[in-house]
Amino acid sequence: MRPLTFRKLVFECFFLLVILFFVVVVALKFGAVPVSLYALGRDLLRVLLGQTSQISSDYGLIIQNIRLPRIILGIIVGASLSVAGTSFQALLRNPLADPYVLGVSSGAALGAILSLIAEPHLALPPAFGALLTPLCAFLGAAVTITAVYFLGRRQGQIESNTLLLGGIITASFLSAVIVFLMSTVNSSNTRGMVFWLMGNLSTSFQKSIYWFLAGGFFIAAGVIYSTANDLNVLLAGEKEATHLGVDVRRVRFVVYMAASLLTGLAVSVSGAVGYVGLIVPHVMRMVFGSDHRTLLPTAALGGAIAVVVADTLARIVVAPNELPVGAVTAVVGAPLFIYLLRRRFA
Amino acid sequence: MKKLPPSRIRVVACRTLVVFSCAAAPSRAQSANAPSPGEPPAFREVVDETGRSVRIPQPVRRIVSLAPSLTETIYALGLDDRLVGDTDYCDYPPDAKKKTKVGGGIDPSLEVIASLHPDLVLATKSFNRLETTQSLDRLGISSYATDPHTVADIMSSVKTLAAVLGVPEAGASVAEEMHHRLDDLQQRIGSLPPKRVLFVVWTQPLISTGKDTFLADALRHAGAVSIIDSSQDWPQVNLEEVARLQPDFLVFAESHSGDASREMAKLATLPAWKIVRAVRNHRYAVTSDAVNRPAPRIVSAVEDLARQLHPKAFAEKSDDAKKASGKVNPAFHPMPFMLVSPGHAIHAHLSSAGGCACGR
Amino acid sequence: MSPSRGSAAPRTPPESARLGTEIRLAVEQVSYAYASNASQAPLFTLEATSFQARPGEIVAILGPNASGKSTLLQLVAGILPPLSGRVLLNGLAVHSLSPRTRAQRIAMVQQESRLLFPARVWQFVLQGRHAHGRSLRFESRDDMLAAQNALIQVGAAELSDRWMDQLSGGEKQRVVLARALAQRPLLLLLDEPTLHLDIAAQVGLLDALRRLSAHNRYTVIVVTHELNLAAEYADQILLMHGGRCLRVGPPAAIYRRELLEHVFRVPLKVEMRGHGRPRVTILSDS
Repeated sequence: MRPLTFRKLVFECFFLLVILFFVVVVALKFGAVPVSLYALGRDLLRVLLGQTSQISSDYGLIIQNIRLPRIILGIIVGASLSVAGTSFQALLRNPLADPYVLGVSSGAALGAILSLIAEPHLALPPAFGALLTPLCAFLGAAVTITAVYFLGRRQGQIESNTLLLGGIITASFLSAVIVFLMSTVNSSNTRGMVFWLMGNLSTSFQKSIYWFLAGGFFIAAGVIYSTANDLNVLLAGEKEATHLGVDVRRVRFVVYMAASLLTGLAVSVSGAVGYVGLIVPHVMRMVFGSDHRTLLPTAALGGAIAVVVADTLARIVVAPNELPVGAVTAVVGAPLFIYLLRRRFA
Repeated sequence: MKKLPPSRIRVVACRTLVVFSCAAAPSRAQSANAPSPGEPPAFREVVDETGRSVRIPQPVRRIVSLAPSLTETIYALGLDDRLVGDTDYCDYPPDAKKKTKVGGGIDPSLEVIASLHPDLVLATKSFNRLETTQSLDRLGISSYATDPHTVADIMSSVKTLAAVLGVPEAGASVAEEMHHRLDDLQQRIGSLPPKRVLFVVWTQPLISTGKDTFLADALRHAGAVSIIDSSQDWPQVNLEEVARLQPDFLVFAESHSGDASREMAKLATLPAWKIVRAVRNHRYAVTSDAVNRPAPRIVSAVEDLARQLHPKAFAEKSDDAKKASGKVNPAFHPMPFMLVSPGHAIHAHLSSAGGCACGR
Repeated sequence: MSPSRGSAAPRTPPESARLGTEIRLAVEQVSYAYASNASQAPLFTLEATSFQARPGEIVAILGPNASGKSTLLQLVAGILPPLSGRVLLNGLAVHSLSPRTRAQRIAMVQQESRLLFPARVWQFVLQGRHAHGRSLRFESRDDMLAAQNALIQVGAAELSDRWMDQLSGGEKQRVVLARALAQRPLLLLLDEPTLHLDIAAQVGLLDALRRLSAHNRYTVIVVTHELNLAAEYADQILLMHGGRCLRVGPPAAIYRRELLEHVFRVPLKVEMRGHGRPRVTILSDS
């Protein structure tokens, strides 16, 4: 009998944090513009110390304004998607669940395309104009989350299979609407939609957005983590969980909302990056076990590592051009998923 | 300035001066010939620019165009009365909007096309699909496709198309006109160092144009060189590369005024883009949408762009330029692409907005 | 199944010492009905039923299928709200308790859902401690002791490190019982626990229940249709038929041939044996 202790948890997370650190250093070093480790270290130190005005070299500016924010975005998106994926797999009692199965990404995509169609006709101040697409994407996600919630209820509370069905139907319906819009609306902006759908970390934002995303992540992930033990018990079965003292109705609602929120945030800023939310939880389960008290934080770190690595590859492989990060995760993720299937999730 | 590849012109010219297959060739039952009783249908075998062998009924009286660039070319050749149908996107010249619409470029309605009984359907590789031409073949409707990759290609394409349609003199004249204006332009700016530009198709993510497109060639004619050197047609570019190369200008193609200045204002608020000096200093140029269309009007867009990029080369000759843009070639009617250079209108708008770095 | 099962004589103390004197569970005129959809009139699943139980007592809810046994059990567990009447556990109405408080007092053993991801036996049993303490926490020494004790009490201590999906039916049943015991409940409810067990396992389970109820002062309520097991082990029997409780009482009072034949609809024979426990024999058609 070796129950989980705080020390074990911290150790496992620290191990992953170290890997993340190395991955970030590599990501900062490599890219379309080569940077020496020394220059990197020096400029990073300046950033940390707040002496940003002293970064004069072009390389330093590139690091600070392009590469570092992009890596931070990758970390947040990867962590959000993995935590959401883990949560949905527990909530729906289905190992094949990923963050997009309940239609959130389709809703966000619809919001994005509507904003692209409407944008030329609105006279918005420039700073707001740059935010319009992610904002509308998030609104689309929020509306979808609410709609699927009501579709997924039976006798007043969320029921796993009903939720899954409701989500899948909503996702297909929204996809059909998107295809319809893209083929009938004659707007040059819809051409850009194809790139958005492929999952992309190259969008840049004002600084405050990164803080907002990080804050949103920690709040939503924290809420989910508070139910970690409940999720453990929930895996034994819903009736059993009730008998063991879990308020199943409350837990389902809270986890559904928080995980959908995480997905909505991630998709609004990066499009639909696939496979991360599906595979990272399974890999972490194989390594660290199914206890959600460990699984949730390790999945978050694992997802961050996966997305930063994928994005670095996306930037390097055809430099100075780049691939969309969703393409890299698909190429790597699909064979990995097949391998996991054959091992039957260990 | 680029020379026209002579070999290519010769090959195409030879192929168009071929056998007239006469009544010996039985016409298919569904052949969409214009009714001309008593006259045996004549055909001409040509090879189009994608290498397909096409049997074109002679003479060509009814034409359907499946691309805006081809529509413009038909008007420029003075054959607009033979144009019986075009796409939803064909909006230049304004008269083209009144023609019967057959749908979009990707998915035109075969029924509408067939109901128009065209002698020839015109397509282009970058705007239309191969499947459409194959479907038309099965219906017994001939289709001819163009595929220009450079401005020179556009000119020779115009001439070839004119020959196919039975008006070689008009074709030669239009091509000559284009050639002449480009030569003029070359004289003005040929000795100046080209401006390094980034042609922006889309901002987030950043999409530019590859080096093998006619767009890139048009930039070269305008005295610019794209900093992106990619064999992909529409490569996604890493912003770091742009920050490293620091282009002199960002170039946008506008579908209607106001877009580009708004885009620039938006980009200027983002810390990642502020590193690019051209964004900080609002150095951008705008061309009309014509730069996206491989048609004679592209020359106007090229001229307009050259004016924005090399203002000093045009300053003392601004009067001549105005005269040139208003000139109508008397031999052929009409040549709408010369009447108004759309870039000027947009220009005026922008200068008043204060965002353009071109001197006037 | 019990490690030291030797003689046939029961090791339980005399009845008066075994059962507590106070009433722990009071079921007062509870009934239940549900409608399959809103427009139809409700269907009575259970008519008003009452009984009481004391610490250390084993109650069997006996009857054929669809007699309302499981519904009654769920009402006692506090999962279903009674249409009328109430269920009081030490004076508290069970349905009004929060799931957490309820789980500290009532443990249920029933047909298990399939585990989604692999788990070890000790992890499974530890889940019984979930209701004790804050939701998000690491297990304390007390939790681990409770889990270990529970495994020992069901005789499954050596299974502690095995994977759940590698256990046999009987082993799994013991582990599930251990999880319930780890909750340290007042009330232990079991819904058809002998369904997939062989004879030896069935006897072993009920022996364990008798031993545990005496030792730990549980009140045990078992839903079953096994006539002889109920007769042998229950202190009190509720005979259910068609949603009604026909009779409540000790086995000797309930096991009357005409009554049982009416309920179970097979010809049978009832013998009273020496220690006051009847035995039922099914007569074959001839």
